[in-house]
Amino acid sequence: MSKRVLCKFFAHGACLKGEHCEFSHDWKDPPHNICTYYQKGLCAYGSRCRYEHVKAARSHSSASSSSTNARQSLVSDIVPLGNSTRSVFGGLTPVPGSPMELSASSRPFIPPTKPAWNQEYGHHDSLDDWDIGEASSIRPSDRPICSFAAAGNCPRGEKCPHLHGDLCPTCGKHCLHPFRPEEREEHLKSCEKKQKHLEALKHSQEIECSVCLERVLSKPTAAERKFGLLSECDHPFCISCIRNWRSSSPTSGMDVNSALRACPICRKLSYFVIPSVIWYSSKEEKQEIVDSYKAKLKSIDCKHFDFGNGNCPFGSSCFYKHKVKPGSYTWRHHRPPPRRPPPRRSGFVDDLFDMFNSIEELTASETALDPMEELTSLEMALLLRDLILDTSDSSSDEEDFYSP
Amino acid sequence: MQASRARLFKEYKEVQREKTADPDIQLACDDSNIFKWTALIKGPSETPYEGGVFQLAFAVPEQYPLQPPQVRFLTKIFHPNVHFKTGEICLDILKNAWSPAWTLQSVCRAIIALMAHPEPDSPLNCDSGNLLRSGDIRGFQSMAKMYTRLAAMPKKG
Repeated sequence: MSKRVLCKFFAHGACLKGEHCEFSHDWKDPPHNICTYYQKGLCAYGSRCRYEHVKAARSHSSASSSSTNARQSLVSDIVPLGNSTRSVFGGLTPVPGSPMELSASSRPFIPPTKPAWNQEYGHHDSLDDWDIGEASSIRPSDRPICSFAAAGNCPRGEKCPHLHGDLCPTCGKHCLHPFRPEEREEHLKSCEKKQKHLEALKHSQEIECSVCLERVLSKPTAAERKFGLLSECDHPFCISCIRNWRSSSPTSGMDVNSALRACPICRKLSYFVIPSVIWYSSKEEKQEIVDSYKAKLKSIDCKHFDFGNGNCPFGSSCFYKHKVKPGSYTWRHHRPPPRRPPPRRSGFVDDLFDMFNSIEELTASETALDPMEELTSLEMALLLRDLILDTSDSSSDEEDFYSP
Repeated sequence: MQASRARLFKEYKEVQREKTADPDIQLACDDSNIFKWTALIKGPSETPYEGGVFQLAFAVPEQYPLQPPQVRFLTKIFHPNVHFKTGEICLDILKNAWSPAWTLQSVCRAIIALMAHPEPDSPLNCDSGNLLRSGDIRGFQSMAKMYTRLAAMPKKG
């Protein structure tokens, strides 16, 4: 069975295939410890790779000593050792029966009752020394920190040959690199932000929407797990619920402004809804959410405005970017083009500023009736039709427009 | 459709949980149709409806809660804002002042409040409205009391 290679799952103490595993479940068999990426020429882990970085294909004869194999299998997943260690260490090709091999084989074989990484590390002092020896030759800021410690807990504790990061007060992990101040700063900042977000998320967890009566963050789809903040009051809703309500067609004499645009609970009129994944606990936090939302919208080109070729019903109050492209209608005429009839759609929505809408219409009609205008009679007729349409149905599809 | 069902189911659970929370209201859902509800409400005290138990029928639209439920009295009641024959109720929150934050339970509460505070200026029952508007409080009260006794109280003996 010398050809068989030790199953690495077995070595970790959990091979699901058991008897049927095509790899050996015999501790005496050599583990396959050669990095395949290195064999192909490039391993992203470099010196941190847990597998052996040897150029030549591993010869089975070099791993004939059973006690060496057993030892290798114990520690193989922590420290690169065996052939590669020696080849890097001394620039030597592995020779069976070399002094190191002998010293290693003289150690007693310990049956692997515990996972390999919990075994005594004292055995490998020489190897650990090598690790440090190599590391100290490079600048301390180039040394990576121990990933076990950074993830929360390093089983080797004090004895770990790797650099242990400093404790981050926010996340409680040893993940601050002692020699990279920029990285530290960055981590501290992002960690604090994350923590804050997490806490806010925790607070938000319990909050229920008053329309569907469900917890907003327990909704089935990610798109639904968002709050819809009203600008003028602090009542929580799901983004989908409040948008549905605001965009529902005002039948049976419901007044758009006093019923639909108002908060369903306190009836305070809000002109827009802000989507947010967290619920705020202070005025400042709300302002922050609103500001970042507006900033995000400001970076998106307004599709109504269309770089100066379209007429945005919200004019200068629009939340989106109005960028005039050279050669566009607005660029040439210094005013927006006349409005075209809006595409007829069911469930027309005008979530925000209906108020502004009417102002815009007023200015639009003023410019449209400007005698200096070169308007054909057809255009004039279209315009008049628009105006009539607008007054009878003062809505647009602003709502879709707002979905991120 | 799905949203209205989910919401009604939530309300149903809430009603089951807090059955004793409001002794004046008993809401029940139709066994086979969650869009049909009935409620029994007690006439508010110090009104001519005191001592009466009135039955309400709810027909919930599929767009609920974006649209209000249709509510009517099944028990005859003499009230300026309730149609004497059909039981239709004239209440702003069931029409243009509806808000999706209202629940069937809160609608019942609103109807109880309407019973205690009639609005004679927008009457569905003109006789009742006229009595109140002409200042004949006594006349209105005795009529209302009579109908309460006739229709909303268990027959004795």
